Amino acid sequence: MADAWTLGTAGSFRPIDALIVDCAVDAISQVGVETCYHCGEALPASPVLLDVDGNIKGFCCEGCLAAAQWIRSSDLGDYYRLRSTAGARVDVELPDLAVWDRDDVLADHAFPVTGGLEITLLTDGMRCAACAWLIDRALQRVDGVLDVGANAVTGRIRIAWDPAGVALSSVLERLALLGYRPYLASGAMQEREKLAERRRWLLRLGIAGLGAMQTMMLSEALYLDFNHHMALYTRDFFRWVTFLVCTPVVFYSGWPFLLGAWREWRERHPGMDTLVAGSTLLAYLASAVETVRGGAHVWYDAAAMFVFLLLCARMLEQRARRIASSQVDALARARPALAVRERPDGTRESVPLTVLQIGDVACMAAGEAVPADGVLLDEQAMFEEALLTGESHPVAKAQGAQVFAGTVCRETPARIEITRVGSATRLSQLTRLVEQAQAHRPPLARVADRVGTWFVVALLIASVAVFIGWRIHEPSRAFEVTLSLLVISCPCALSLAVPAALAASHGALARLGVLSLRAEGLDSLARTTDVVFDKTGTLTRIDPSIGEIQTFGGVSADEAMAIAAALERDSGHPIAAAFASVLTLRTASGLKVHAGQGLSGMVGGMEWRLGRGPFAANQDDDGRLWFGDGSSAVARFSLEERVRADAGVAVDALRGLGLRIHLASGDAPGAVERLTRQLDIDDAHARQSSEDKLALVRKLQAEGRVVAMVGDGLNDAPVLAGADVSLAMGEGASLAQRAADMVLTAPSLLRIPAAVQLARRTQRIIRQNFAWAVGYNLLALPLAVMGQVTPSLAALGMALSSLMVTANALRLMRVSIPEATS
Amino acid sequence: MIILLMLIPLSLMLLAVAIGSFVWAVRKGQFDDMDTPAIDILSDDRPLEAKADFTLNGRDHG
Repeated sequence: MADAWTLGTAGSFRPIDALIVDCAVDAISQVGVETCYHCGEALPASPVLLDVDGNIKGFCCEGCLAAAQWIRSSDLGDYYRLRSTAGARVDVELPDLAVWDRDDVLADHAFPVTGGLEITLLTDGMRCAACAWLIDRALQRVDGVLDVGANAVTGRIRIAWDPAGVALSSVLERLALLGYRPYLASGAMQEREKLAERRRWLLRLGIAGLGAMQTMMLSEALYLDFNHHMALYTRDFFRWVTFLVCTPVVFYSGWPFLLGAWREWRERHPGMDTLVAGSTLLAYLASAVETVRGGAHVWYDAAAMFVFLLLCARMLEQRARRIASSQVDALARARPALAVRERPDGTRESVPLTVLQIGDVACMAAGEAVPADGVLLDEQAMFEEALLTGESHPVAKAQGAQVFAGTVCRETPARIEITRVGSATRLSQLTRLVEQAQAHRPPLARVADRVGTWFVVALLIASVAVFIGWRIHEPSRAFEVTLSLLVISCPCALSLAVPAALAASHGALARLGVLSLRAEGLDSLARTTDVVFDKTGTLTRIDPSIGEIQTFGGVSADEAMAIAAALERDSGHPIAAAFASVLTLRTASGLKVHAGQGLSGMVGGMEWRLGRGPFAANQDDDGRLWFGDGSSAVARFSLEERVRADAGVAVDALRGLGLRIHLASGDAPGAVERLTRQLDIDDAHARQSSEDKLALVRKLQAEGRVVAMVGDGLNDAPVLAGADVSLAMGEGASLAQRAADMVLTAPSLLRIPAAVQLARRTQRIIRQNFAWAVGYNLLALPLAVMGQVTPSLAALGMALSSLMVTANALRLMRVSIPEATS
Repeated sequence: MIILLMLIPLSLMLLAVAIGSFVWAVRKGQFDDMDTPAIDILSDDRPLEAKADFTLNGRDHG
C-alpha cells in the first residue's frame, strides 16, 4: 500500500515529494475534493496535493501532509479507515516543547515507574477511538518509550518513558507532528488518585458480583428444602460456607455504604446510606446469630444481593458522570500551565504559572492565552476576550491597557507587565462569583432527601415498636418478626427506584449529546416551565456572516466579495469565517495583517485593503468592514450574526412542550428585535448585563416558575448557576460549562427539547418505580408486622420488586436522537 | 450427601481463582480504557516487534 507514496524513509517529514500545484482551482475541480484529506477542513487557494493509492488527495497545509505521509509510511494507514471523524489540523509550526524536559515540570507531573518516568497529559483533537489507536502505535515506536495508553473518551494520554534513552520533548514532538498538542493535566496526584479510586470501585463491584452469585446459589439450596429433609449438620455446613462467602461482600464491597452510614450518623442526618447499611448489617448479623444458635432461617443472600445491586446502580451513574466531567476538564485546558517570562537581559524562559510574580514581564505568541492580569507593554495588540465577556471579536488594546488572564492574544505577539496573579486575577474572581451563585441554588433538590430521612427514621422507630410489641405478646417470635419486617421493608426497590432510573437516563442523555454534570439537573429540567435563552453563541452562531453589501464606484458587489474572500482566505483572521462560503478564483499574494486595523494584499495586480474605515478606505470608523485601496472606498460590508439553522425548530418544539420562551441578550435592542421576529419569541430583553439576567431569572422564580437557562459565555456563568437548571453550549466558555448542570456537546439546539422530554420520561418512570416500591412495602409491611410473612418469602418479594424497578428503568435507555438540520 | 464435602470446597476454590484473576486484571489496568482496544483487533498485518507484543498481550484480555 505504501508504494503509492513516493517518499523517503519514515523519519523524514519534509514533503519534498509532494506535488505542489499552483493553479489550485483547476486541480481542485479536476480532483473533486474540497476538504483536506487529513483534517477535513476546507482547502485553501493553493492546497498541497499528493497521490494516495492512485487518488489525488488535497491537503490544507504542509503540516497535515507531513502527518499523513508519516502515518502512511509507518504502515498506520488503517487510521484513515478506522476513524469516524476527521483529524485535527496540524500546525506547520510546532509548539515549543522544550518546557516538557524541565526538571520542575517533571517533578510536579511525572511519577517514577520501573525503568523510567510516567506522565499523564491532556490533548485536544483526539476525537475518536482511532485517534487513540494512532497515538498508541505512533508513540510506541519512539525508542525509549516504555508504554503508552491513550484514552479518547477522557482525552488523556499516559506515557511511560526512559529519560536516559529519550527526552520527553522528542516523544511529544511526534505527537505534535500528528496534530495533537500536549497540555499539562491538572495535577498528576489527582489523576492517579482518580484512577485508583475507579479501580477500587471496580474491584468492589466484581467481588460483590461473584460473591452474591455464590451466596445466592448456596442459599437457594436452603430455601428449596421446603419440608426440612436436610440433615442438620448439612444445613449448618451450608450456612457456614455462605457466611464465609457473604462476609467480604458485606464488609469489603459494602464498605462505601457502611462509611456513608457512619458519616450520616455522625452528622445526625440519616439518609439512604443509613438504610442500606442498616438493612445489610441487620440481615447479615441476624443470619450470623441464627447460624450460631441454629435458628430457623438465614438471610445472607438478601445482604449480598442488596450490596451488589446497589453497587451496580452507583457504578453506572458514576461512569456517566465521570465521562461528562472529564470532557469538561478537557475543554478547560485553554488556561496555560506555563508562561514565557522575559528576563531583565531580554532573554526568555518558560516558567510554571505559579512562579510568575507581580512586576514580571510575560510574552505571548499570537494564539496563546494570557497567563495573568497585566498591563500591555507593546504599542498595540489584539485580544480575544470571549472567555470573560462573551464578545467574540478581538478587542484592540493600546499600550498601558489592562489585559486579563484567560484572554487570547491574537494576530501579533504581545508583552505584558504582570499586575495580578493567581486568585487575584479577574478570571479567578469570576470563578468565585460562579461558586457563590452555586451555593444559592434553589433547595428543591433537598426535599427528596428529607423525605428519605423521615422514612428511615420512621422505619427504625416502627421496627423497635414491633419488636417490643411482639416481645410482650409472644417473646419467642419477636426476633423473627422484626427481622421479617426489616427484610421486607428493606428498601431495595425504594432505593433502586431513583438511581437505576437516573443511571439509565444519564446514559441516554450522553448519547443525545447532553452531558449531565449534576444529578439534580435532570429533576429540575423535567419540572421546567420557562426557558431563558442567551442570544450570541446560543441561538446564533459565534462566527459572523456577511449581511448587507454596499458598493461605491466601478466594482460590482460580487467582485468585491470575491477579492475580499481571496484576501481573507489564508489570513487566519477571525472574520475569515464569514467569507469561507464565498467561492473565489482569485488568489492573493503579499498578505499582511495590520493588528487592529485589517489586512492588505495584492489581488490581480492591485493592492487592496480590508478592515476598519480609516485604514482601508480613508473613511470614518463605523464598526463595519470597509474594502478599498487605502485612499478610496470600493465596498462596505456589514457583518451579521447567523441564526443557528435549528434554532427555530428547537424553539417551536420547546413551546410545543408547554414551555415559555424568554430571550435575554447583552446586545442592542435592534439586533434582539430582529431575532425575536425571526424566531417568534414574545419576551425579549436587550442590553442585559449578567446581573440583569440573574434578576430576570430570580423574578421568574419568585413567580413560582421553574427556570432553565441556556447560555454559552462566561458572562452567563452566574445566571447559569442561579437558574433552576442550566445548559451550556459545548463550544462556549469552559467556565460557563462548569457553572452549568448540563453541557450540550452536539452542536444542535434540537437536543434541548429532546433532553426535556427525556427528563420528563425519567420523572414519570421514577414515579412509577416509587409507586411500585411503596405499594409493595405498604402491602407487605402490615403482613410482616402481623407475623404473616416468613423472611424467605419477604426476600423473594424484595428481589422481584427490585427486578421490576430495574427493568422499568432500563426502558429509558431507548432514545431516538433528533436529526440535526444544520 | 458426602459428595458435598468435596464439591463445595471445590466451588469455593473456583470462586477464589475467579476473584484472584479479576483482581489481577483490574490491577493491570485491563478495565481502564473500554473504548480504544475495541478497534485494536481490527488491524494486524504488521510484523510484531518485541514491544508491540507487550501491548497486544496487555490488551487482548480486556
